Amino acid sequence: MDYFKTDWAAMTLNDWIGMVLTVGVFILMVWAYVHVFHPKNKDKLESQRYLPDDDDDTIETENRK
Amino acid sequence: METTQVEKYDFDVVRWFSIMAVVYLVIGTLVGVLIASQLAWPWLNFDIAELTFGRLRPLHTNAVIFAFGGSVLMATAYYTVQRTCGVRLWSNKMAWFTFWGWNLVILGAVITLPLGITQSKEYAELAWPIDILIAVVWLAYSLNFFMTVAKRKTSHIYVSNWFFMAMMVMITYLHVVNSLAIPVTLWHSFSVFSGVQDAMIQWWYGHNAVGFYLTAGFLGIMYYFVPKQANRPVFSYRLSVIHFWSLTFGYVWLGAHHLQYTALPDWTGSIGAAVSLAMIIPSWGGALNGMLTLSGAWDKLRDDYVLRFLIMSLAFYAMSTFEGPVMSVKTVNALSHYTDWTVGHVHAGALGWVAMVASGALYHMIMKLWNTEMYSAKLVNLHFWLATIGTVVYITAMWVSGIMQGLMWRDYDEFGTLTYTFVESVAAMHPFYVMRAIGGMIFWAGGAIMLYNVVMTVRQANARRAVNAATANA
Repeated sequence: MDYFKTDWAAMTLNDWIGMVLTVGVFILMVWAYVHVFHPKNKDKLESQRYLPDDDDDTIETENRK
Repeated sequence: METTQVEKYDFDVVRWFSIMAVVYLVIGTLVGVLIASQLAWPWLNFDIAELTFGRLRPLHTNAVIFAFGGSVLMATAYYTVQRTCGVRLWSNKMAWFTFWGWNLVILGAVITLPLGITQSKEYAELAWPIDILIAVVWLAYSLNFFMTVAKRKTSHIYVSNWFFMAMMVMITYLHVVNSLAIPVTLWHSFSVFSGVQDAMIQWWYGHNAVGFYLTAGFLGIMYYFVPKQANRPVFSYRLSVIHFWSLTFGYVWLGAHHLQYTALPDWTGSIGAAVSLAMIIPSWGGALNGMLTLSGAWDKLRDDYVLRFLIMSLAFYAMSTFEGPVMSVKTVNALSHYTDWTVGHVHAGALGWVAMVASGALYHMIMKLWNTEMYSAKLVNLHFWLATIGTVVYITAMWVSGIMQGLMWRDYDEFGTLTYTFVESVAAMHPFYVMRAIGGMIFWAGGAIMLYNVVMTVRQANARRAVNAATANA
């Protein structure tokens, strides 16, 4: 258990910033996984697969006055 | 009232970046072949300082990463952002500024590196005035991209644009921090970091140059060009979202695995290795996402040579993103570090992944931009096989050479003394250095064929356009 012992009093400002960012990013990742793989979001997200197909296959031109 | 037909998008700058990318592919790999040959046959250094391995090696890495890779990234980013957002570039003039500015950076590298002007930081060798120019051009490129996304007609920002934007943000951050230096003369400066901090910052930069410039940026390319070339939607959009966020959050931790068994605190290397292993999951998820886009339509690979480049690149991406984490583990690293295995690993990624996916994207764009087929489909196929065989020969030579080096360097006899001298290990490498040079030559030949094919395609398309214009006027 000594391996996990943390001397909180010795934490510097950099240590705190790093820890808060790390834990924050971890929580955001968990949220991202839950959000993306929740069944109710499936259709909304997967509908974006077709976005690149919507542009014309040839280089379009337009009329300019 | 007179009307004229003009293109809906700003594609001239994309055309020029595309052509220059192919030119730089040939030049950058040619310098690579020369320095690989110098290692096999040292007389090729010619006792001319400017042509020695030490001066030309950074020229090779800068040419392939920044000249070739940068031109590909700028061409594809400007092309895809307009097509996926349904709008012109925010500023065509600024795009042209990035074209000339980036080429000026490359010219600066070509002049200064052979003269020995360097900051001695790997992949960040260029002198401080060129560093400032890189920052200005990169910020202009990024601003133009972000503003184009901001004025898009679509409600959603397609995943390829997310990858490009992650690359732009992180490369700005990495380049500026790693290049912080106190200038003492026009071409000489001292880094603000020293000792172990300098090493840590350098490899935080170095690995993320791979992670964001050569991976995130090229994944942006993959997520647009694989579905477009296959004419099918990407296998799973949800997987692409998870691929993006886990790669973006994960990659920044890995740099310390380049510094195992050094003065860095041991835990930094351990965490670098642990996160490296975790990164196999998003990397393979992304590779499978690209490959499975062909699910049910694998027959397309039979005659679509451009698609072959794109899918083969994903195989190499999967392979090198498995190999890298394995090499970062301390036990394996004890054998692999400082050996040619690392060089082989880098080239599995650089030749197999980056250059292959870039070639596929460039062929696709060139046909679209000039509204024509390639001059010779057979030459595209020949390029594909030369690139694949050249890469395999190169990395196989380096695997054997690297593992042999590692084993020779740490072999002891019964008296506790080293079994082999360093020079003996160098002599043992010779056949593999020859093999590596041959692999590089094969790969280079593929690039030269691509350049010929592209030039002929453009000439053919321009000639046809001139004939059509003359017919219309008659």
